[in-house]
Amino acid sequence: MSSVATLVALQDRIRRIERPGALRHGVLPFEVAAIDEALPGGGLALGAVHEFLGIGADEEDGAAVAGFAASIAGRIDNSFVIPGCPAGADPEAMNTDLGQDSADPRSWVPGSLAPLAPRNDNLVKARGRTGIILWCLKRGDLYAPGLAEHGLDPARIVRVIAPRDDGILWVLEEGLRTSNSPGGIAAVVGEIGRLPMVAGRRLQLAAERSGVTALLLRRWRNGAEAASERERPSAAVTRWRIAAIPSLPGPELNNEPGIGTPRWRVELLRCRGAEAAQVTWDVEVADASGLVSIPAGLADRPAAPRRLAAEPGLRRAAG
Amino acid sequence: MLPNPVSGARPAEEAPFTTVIAASGRQMLAAANPAAAAKGITAGMPLADALSFLPGLATRPAELAEDAAALRRLAEWCDRYSPWAAPDGSDGVKIEITGSAHLWGGEAELAADLSQRLARQGISHRLAIADTFGAAWAVARFAASEEEGSPSRCRLAALAAKIIVPLGEARAALAPLPVAALRLDPAIVEGLHRVGLRRVGEAMAMPRDALTRRFGETVARRLDQALGEPPEPLSPLGEVPSRRVRLSLPEPIADPADLARAAERLTLDLVSRLAREGAGARRLDLGFHRVDGRVEHIRIGTARPSRDPAHLAKLLTGKLDTVDPGLGIEDVILAAFAVEKLAPEQIDMTGAAGVSTGAAPLFDRIGARLGLDALARLEPRESHIPERASVAAPISAKPNKQPPTPQKPPRPVRLFAPPEPVEAFWVLPDDPPFRFTWRHRTHRVAQADGPERVAEEWWQPDGQLVDGAGSPDAIRDYYRVEDASGRRFWLFRAGLPGDPPPRWFVHGVFA
Repeated sequence: MSSVATLVALQDRIRRIERPGALRHGVLPFEVAAIDEALPGGGLALGAVHEFLGIGADEEDGAAVAGFAASIAGRIDNSFVIPGCPAGADPEAMNTDLGQDSADPRSWVPGSLAPLAPRNDNLVKARGRTGIILWCLKRGDLYAPGLAEHGLDPARIVRVIAPRDDGILWVLEEGLRTSNSPGGIAAVVGEIGRLPMVAGRRLQLAAERSGVTALLLRRWRNGAEAASERERPSAAVTRWRIAAIPSLPGPELNNEPGIGTPRWRVELLRCRGAEAAQVTWDVEVADASGLVSIPAGLADRPAAPRRLAAEPGLRRAAG
Repeated sequence: MLPNPVSGARPAEEAPFTTVIAASGRQMLAAANPAAAAKGITAGMPLADALSFLPGLATRPAELAEDAAALRRLAEWCDRYSPWAAPDGSDGVKIEITGSAHLWGGEAELAADLSQRLARQGISHRLAIADTFGAAWAVARFAASEEEGSPSRCRLAALAAKIIVPLGEARAALAPLPVAALRLDPAIVEGLHRVGLRRVGEAMAMPRDALTRRFGETVARRLDQALGEPPEPLSPLGEVPSRRVRLSLPEPIADPADLARAAERLTLDLVSRLAREGAGARRLDLGFHRVDGRVEHIRIGTARPSRDPAHLAKLLTGKLDTVDPGLGIEDVILAAFAVEKLAPEQIDMTGAAGVSTGAAPLFDRIGARLGLDALARLEPRESHIPERASVAAPISAKPNKQPPTPQKPPRPVRLFAPPEPVEAFWVLPDDPPFRFTWRHRTHRVAQADGPERVAEEWWQPDGQLVDGAGSPDAIRDYYRVEDASGRRFWLFRAGLPGDPPPRWFVHGVFA
């Protein structure tokens, strides 16, 4: 083996030793350059815990965070997961002896199967996504047709209603222990009020082991709980705050301004392993493909017409 | 089947003792113990007469409800012999032991075992085994004598001769018994005595139509039932399981680890039976029979039929801390109630979006802790009414393929049930509001879309629109409004624009 390849393999091994759990299962990019650049690996880490907070009155209803989480969960796909094959792994590395712990059962996958490891192709995105999304909450106010508009197929959702936070944490942990095989769980979404640091750490370890992604939506009922929980340090890999901001003016109807493209203010509060924190973007709300977008033009460009949910349906049927 | 005294598990007292109940304005005796019966005091006597016989008679008020509950518990405990056990009247238990007697090595051994355990619990009893229920009832109450201690082996034969009516000899066994053994009303018994029929044998010898003409058809029916012609079904106390495995322990156990091991062993037995039949269990009931006669149950259900022993054992042992073993557990019985076909599994490389074997054990575990109705799929339905357009279907139902619904205007991610009333201010009746107050906060509307009219679906039986207060609306006009901070709400006005006064509600919040 050439010395360059050896060097690359050794660097990869050092990187894996330094951050043993991170990016083991691949990333889910946002397809928006500004956001993807701020995240290590170029996207949201799969097989990890991510936290989403609301702002203002939305901390009680959790609508914007639900839409954002739906847009992420809807794009997590188990179709090409081979149990035992680490997603996003370098195909070259899988052929070498270096950089693998031989005790790790994942190292037996031969290099010829490497092309089947998940890649971010348009081909992958266009196919129907598989894997169950387990959504746990205390109140039953989730509305599936609304989630479908942000890219999450309602047929994948299994809703669990638990009366208390410890019940929700238990369900999340059980869900994270299931393997992410094609018929199993793709991601778990939990609407939690109180999240102790220890519980968060356990969820993170379980997610790293199984490859199932956990999205925690923080939803509080009263001011005291909110004040104490907002500042608590968390074990999540990334921490976001989502707020709804006024939409771009839409087509006028009877001389009244209509709602145009709805928008979110997405703030990355904390990201493990990234240099910059507290970055904010004003994005257009995720549409039926689950992707947010930042309009490239300036403010006086006319707002683009909204893509209706019908079109992705046609794409799915054809693809 | 056996009668037992009304006082439940108390051993027979030495002194005469009766329980008293108020009936038809007088105090009557409900029951008397053997010492009192020896002095001539019987149940049904007025208290005044009894006290005149025996001035120092100890009495207590009869607690009929507690007695009935104790009898039910005893019938539940008798479940260890056969699932077909039920209380009979107010002082007896009937058990159908067809097919289970061989597990004890014969009917005599079963009777001995039952007698011994009842004596250990302090219940004095009389029991009899026959091939019809009527014959067993008669022999138990009128022929058998009370057994106090545990019968030793040498007395077993004598015991068997007295209380077990061999097959086909019901007629011969019943003949010498008094006619009261036929479960007849006292008035009819009186009538039979008056015409000189004192023994069942004599009544059997009379022509049937004569008896029917004189006493009604009850007598003939009871005679036939005792001899077995119309079968008399027994309705058991609980649901009858479709598969049952039992573990009898020579020594009572109380340690949770031992209970867990017993549960695992039974699960393996049951699973091997189910595997032979190609079936899987949906509902399991694990019963622990304590030495003092109580039964503790653990019940679990699964979303899909399962015969994975590790999974079922884990679901059962997860609930073991709710079982109080008391002084010890002597029997463990695992019963499967809902058993469905379960084909051998194929490993599927591409999983469909339905519940596959990968996630089904997870749903079972969640269902064991939170109840299976905490899990739901959100299925679309064809309906214009928003709250009916997506319903929560139970996880165990098969997901049905819905045709793609026609395109609708945007829908919120959160829907409130019921819709919350708001106070709204508008300029023209048709317009969306320019300001509204919700949850004590005022929102100023910057932009709005709408209206989208939703009318009640009169063609559906439950197609009415109901608002938060429960009164029906004919019309809802939905508006999508955005307030100054950017939050987007889904409001509707209930009723027609001309209705005074219009009522506004918030139905959901958009992402």
